Amino acid sequence: MMSFFNSYTPLLELALFNALLAFSQYVVLRAGVFSLGTAAFAALGAYAAAIMVTKLGMPAWLGLIAAVGLGTVAGALVAVPLARLRGVFQALATLALVQIVLSITLNWVDVTEGALGINSIPKTIGLFGMFCAVAVVTYLMSAMGSTSIGRAFDIIREDETVAVSLGISVPKHHMIAFILSGAIAGLAGGLHAYTSYSITPNEYGFNMLVMVLAMVVLGGRVSVWGPIVGAVVLTALPELLRGLQEYRTVVQGALLMLSIIFLPRGVADTLIGTLRRRRITLASTKAKAVTI
Amino acid sequence: MKALVLDDIARSFGGLPAVDGVSLTAPAGRITGLIGPNGAGKTTVVNMITGLLKVTRGRILVGDEDVTEADAPMLARAGVARTFQNIRLIGDASVLDNVVAGFHRHEKVGTLANLLGLPSAVRERRELENKASALLERFGMTGLAKHPAGSLSYGHQRRIEMMRALAMDPAVLLLDEPVAGMNDTEAHSLADIFRSVAQQGVAILLIEHNMRFVMSLCQHIYVLASGQLIAEGDPDAVGQNPKVIEAYLGA
Repeated sequence: MMSFFNSYTPLLELALFNALLAFSQYVVLRAGVFSLGTAAFAALGAYAAAIMVTKLGMPAWLGLIAAVGLGTVAGALVAVPLARLRGVFQALATLALVQIVLSITLNWVDVTEGALGINSIPKTIGLFGMFCAVAVVTYLMSAMGSTSIGRAFDIIREDETVAVSLGISVPKHHMIAFILSGAIAGLAGGLHAYTSYSITPNEYGFNMLVMVLAMVVLGGRVSVWGPIVGAVVLTALPELLRGLQEYRTVVQGALLMLSIIFLPRGVADTLIGTLRRRRITLASTKAKAVTI
Repeated sequence: MKALVLDDIARSFGGLPAVDGVSLTAPAGRITGLIGPNGAGKTTVVNMITGLLKVTRGRILVGDEDVTEADAPMLARAGVARTFQNIRLIGDASVLDNVVAGFHRHEKVGTLANLLGLPSAVRERRELENKASALLERFGMTGLAKHPAGSLSYGHQRRIEMMRALAMDPAVLLLDEPVAGMNDTEAHSLADIFRSVAQQGVAILLIEHNMRFVMSLCQHIYVLASGQLIAEGDPDAVGQNPKVIEAYLGA
């Protein structure tokens, strides 16, 4: 049992890291914000955490606070100018943010070490730490989802006109979504820096952006299980398909396409919807049986 | 008890007036009708009252409060609720959740408490669900509480929209063609509900195309044609007004 965990520890850590990134993407998509900023917020978190420890000699816990703080501030700052944008324009503006952060990490060599990245970061976070972080974020997301904020997010996503006619402030909720997305991605980046010994700018580029988006689309954007399912599947899939070698990405792409065609609401949301419908039909047939 | 007052409001699109100088009063506790043929500007009036469109001229008052410049969320908070001409519900969400959404303006628990899922937030959610259940009972839909709203019949969906609007506990209620596409039995049962809501002191403005339905329900009716009021009065007076007959028959 122990040896199983030992040999799969890096993979499990990666899955948990991906789950955090997926939550960061999930929270904006749920609120109807088409933000691609997760990779940028994660990069800020990772660099903040790495610089705090390697250059400033601070303890890791302070580094994590800096990572979350920087992600939060970045999310809040981005939300202000983006409040007027919608849909594809939000996507483009946040894509630009990813490019800006990428070029800062590449070119501000004095602080970020440029393309080589920051190396020999002490590993202070293990599997347990990652697991705790994911557990806390999952709890927060499910608490948020079942109260006023999650409900407002759902209404804004489905129909903004209805939302405003009910008195829901769209800028306020978009701001909340951006702040949460920034904070969660900042945390993810910080934890990644402390588990993976080194960070490089290109980890937080276009590949991450696409992968994170794919995880939420595959998993689902309403239930909190969506990002978790998506992260686990897309972390495990490359490993399971290892035998296919160079055909791996082709098969992975094809599987993703099939799942989007046949499960457009995502694996978790479709499954939950089906179960709910079945329970309702079961309950109503039972009620009919009683009246007869 | 607040009345809705429109004072000479106007709106033009690219220089063409869609609504040109409409003044009306919808007093509290009454159902006031606003009728007119297709393209008369009824929906433009609704969108101006609810803040989705800005007026180019005139004032809108809810009670003593001037809400001319207010945006849609501010108006909702001032107590203006509406239903939509084409039903707009969250189809995947349950009937109960759709109705709970209407209580948004009464929620008191702060953002942080909601994010952290503190007991106060959980308690508030339960209270709102109880209130929503009471509304469902009043509308005879208790058994459907958990069904996805989108899976229900047209008549049921109209009722859910109505419940969501009532959950806002409005001072002013705008009904934008609430019985469009309904049969007479369904329309009559909704009419009873409208009457009981008005009796509680809500100012109802009923915007309808269906003249017969408005005549049976409203004490006072305004008639809109080509963006202007062409007649007002009690149902009999309006029904016999030659201008109204002309506008409707398109002579």
